Amino acid sequence: MLQKKICMLGSFSVGKTSLVRRFVESMFSEVYQTSIGVKVDKKVVRVNNEDVTLILWDIHGEDVYQKIHMSYLRGMSGYLLVIDGTRRQTLEDALALNERVVQEVGKVPAILVFNKSDLVDKWEIDSARESELAASGWTILRTSAKTGASVEQVFSQLAAATLAE
Amino acid sequence: MRDPSPAGKTLMANMADQAHRRAPANQTEENPSANNHAYEELRHLIMAPEQEELADIQERLDDRARRTQDVSSVVAEAISMRRDQHGERALAQALAPTVQETLRESVRRDPHPLADALFPVMGPAIRKSISEALRGMLESFNEALEHSLSVRGMKWRIEAFRTGKPFAEIVVMHSLLFRVEQVFLIHRHTGLVLNHVVAREVATQDASMVAGMLSAIQQFVRDSFNSKNDESLDRLDVGELEVWIEEGPDAVLAAVIRGHAPSDYRLAMKEALEEIQQRYSSALENFKGDAAPFLSAEELLRRLLAAQHREPAAQKKPRAALATIAVLCILLVAYFGYSIYLMVEWSRILHAVRGQPGIVVLSYDHEGGRYHIQGFKDPLAPDPNTLLKQAGLDPRTAQFDLAPYYSLDDSIVAQRARQLLNPPEGVTLSESHGELHVEGIAAPQWISRAQERAPYIAGVTSVDTSQLQNSHLLQLNGPKSSIESMILVFPIGRAELEPGQESSVAQAQKGIREIVEKASHLGEQTNVELTGHSDSTGIEGTNMLLSQERADNIRSILIRGGVQPSNLHTRGVGATQPLRPEDTEENRRLNRSVTARITFTPTASGN
Repeated sequence: MLQKKICMLGSFSVGKTSLVRRFVESMFSEVYQTSIGVKVDKKVVRVNNEDVTLILWDIHGEDVYQKIHMSYLRGMSGYLLVIDGTRRQTLEDALALNERVVQEVGKVPAILVFNKSDLVDKWEIDSARESELAASGWTILRTSAKTGASVEQVFSQLAAATLAE
Repeated sequence: MRDPSPAGKTLMANMADQAHRRAPANQTEENPSANNHAYEELRHLIMAPEQEELADIQERLDDRARRTQDVSSVVAEAISMRRDQHGERALAQALAPTVQETLRESVRRDPHPLADALFPVMGPAIRKSISEALRGMLESFNEALEHSLSVRGMKWRIEAFRTGKPFAEIVVMHSLLFRVEQVFLIHRHTGLVLNHVVAREVATQDASMVAGMLSAIQQFVRDSFNSKNDESLDRLDVGELEVWIEEGPDAVLAAVIRGHAPSDYRLAMKEALEEIQQRYSSALENFKGDAAPFLSAEELLRRLLAAQHREPAAQKKPRAALATIAVLCILLVAYFGYSIYLMVEWSRILHAVRGQPGIVVLSYDHEGGRYHIQGFKDPLAPDPNTLLKQAGLDPRTAQFDLAPYYSLDDSIVAQRARQLLNPPEGVTLSESHGELHVEGIAAPQWISRAQERAPYIAGVTSVDTSQLQNSHLLQLNGPKSSIESMILVFPIGRAELEPGQESSVAQAQKGIREIVEKASHLGEQTNVELTGHSDSTGIEGTNMLLSQERADNIRSILIRGGVQPSNLHTRGVGATQPLRPEDTEENRRLNRSVTARITFTPTASGN
């Protein structure tokens, strides 16, 4: 079976962990994220009639106190860049982070995940900005960890993208 | 098979038609009837070989036997061609039902040929599976024996009960110095697991997540402590577990160890990792998430598991084996000892019974802990159970089934004679080779009864009573011998007594009368035999007459003296039985004499 290392990146409390909590196999405590900055989970998705095991490195959200260990990103086949749609700042931080990631790891498949789609009326990001990002080459998906909307799709779409590489 | 003959017929028709159309082109514009013959000839020339061939083909197709023959010559090649073209599967699938049915039919008809054919395969397979099962059983038996009886074992049981863990796990935890429970082979760059092996009966977590987390920790440590690139975390201690990590350029080995491994295990890990790096260098470099190329590394990783089992196991096995051998030896010795004891006892029983006169052993066997002896026994022979007691054996260990019979053994015959004749004190009976010897002194009644009965005793063919004396007559022995020692002498050629012997004659008269009377009282008839002798001078015939005359004269003298004539008998022996050798005149005188001999016979009425 194919395995792929996938990283989950994004600012603090954008819902990365919530995103995976209901949808993946997990054996480690979330305490690891605050201690060593990462927690490894697993998700099996089916792409083109083939099972692919995604090893998800759920990396601690970056804030003023903790920078992410860039070495955790080594060897990844793709990543999810997660933002909180209700906080504009998370998008800007994520894009800044993305630049460092590309510098460190190079270009790999990535999906920009607009989380908290269930609170879309409170969003600070308008669709014009969304289209602008899509035009610049981003694959964008709206998800809701709360309702589960599009979560499975995020994983299988990223898996398909890594296989296409 | 489809019948091809319609196709063959169509072909023939076509060819004939073509020949017909070709024929006019070769003809000139001559008289058709004159050309008819030429046409036929031409047609024959062109068509005949083809027609023959066609007929031949037709025959081949129609004739079932020939068709069969044709197919048979290519059937093997056809099968192998088919197999080469379409792989073994299609052919196997087509043939499978037929082969199955064939085998079933073969077994139904006679199972032996198939059994014989399979025998060389089945024997080893069965032996192997049995020996595997036995080995497993012996191992678990050894372990159970070792752990269940000791104080330590009891402690572990209590611990198992207290902690709720299985007993086996407690045993493993305590009895092994260390055990490598898991080995991970991890792709260094991505942290993805390439292969993962687990020792038996070890519960594991998801290997891919563990491998990922191990890599994360590794990188965390490296980042956090600013160590150089070739320095890394090579060991984690977690309670009873240790995780040893060995990093190569592209791959990482991580071993999860329970207990404390010796330091040379690190070397084993290094060597294994080097071999993996070398063997899979390109696969490691081009790794894109497919772990399939690394499946073959399993044996290498298993060696890292197994190598560490050997040490504790090696110490245990000889002890268990020795204990087993010792127990077996003791059992064997005990068994042989008991067998020998039984054999000795058995031979003693047989010996005690067999040596006994009057008992014949025909057969014997040992059944249900008892000896069963069959044969014959004389009623006079001793009870075999008594014999066993005398030999110091338990009579309950033997059962005798002895039919009665008459033994001709000397001692038994003598015993039988004693029982039947009931001899008085002073008489002994002995027997040899059928002759019964009776010795001693007995009353005449017993003597006569014994003489009458003895020949009827089983085993007695003759009776010897020469050494048997009549107790009644013993008192007459004195007078009898004094008369028997008397010699009454006569002058030469005369039948009258020499003078001077009157007192002797008177003594004889008196003595004989007394003997006859006493004997008569004891129921005995007295017989006095008077024998006349002569010396050797003169003619023999005259001597005979003279000696008879001498005896008769003495008889007359005795009768006159009051002796009953019926008690007296005479005979003359002439010079044939001289009393003395005639070397002196005195001896010659003594040979001219009469002597007496007294015997007794019981009277018919008895007393």
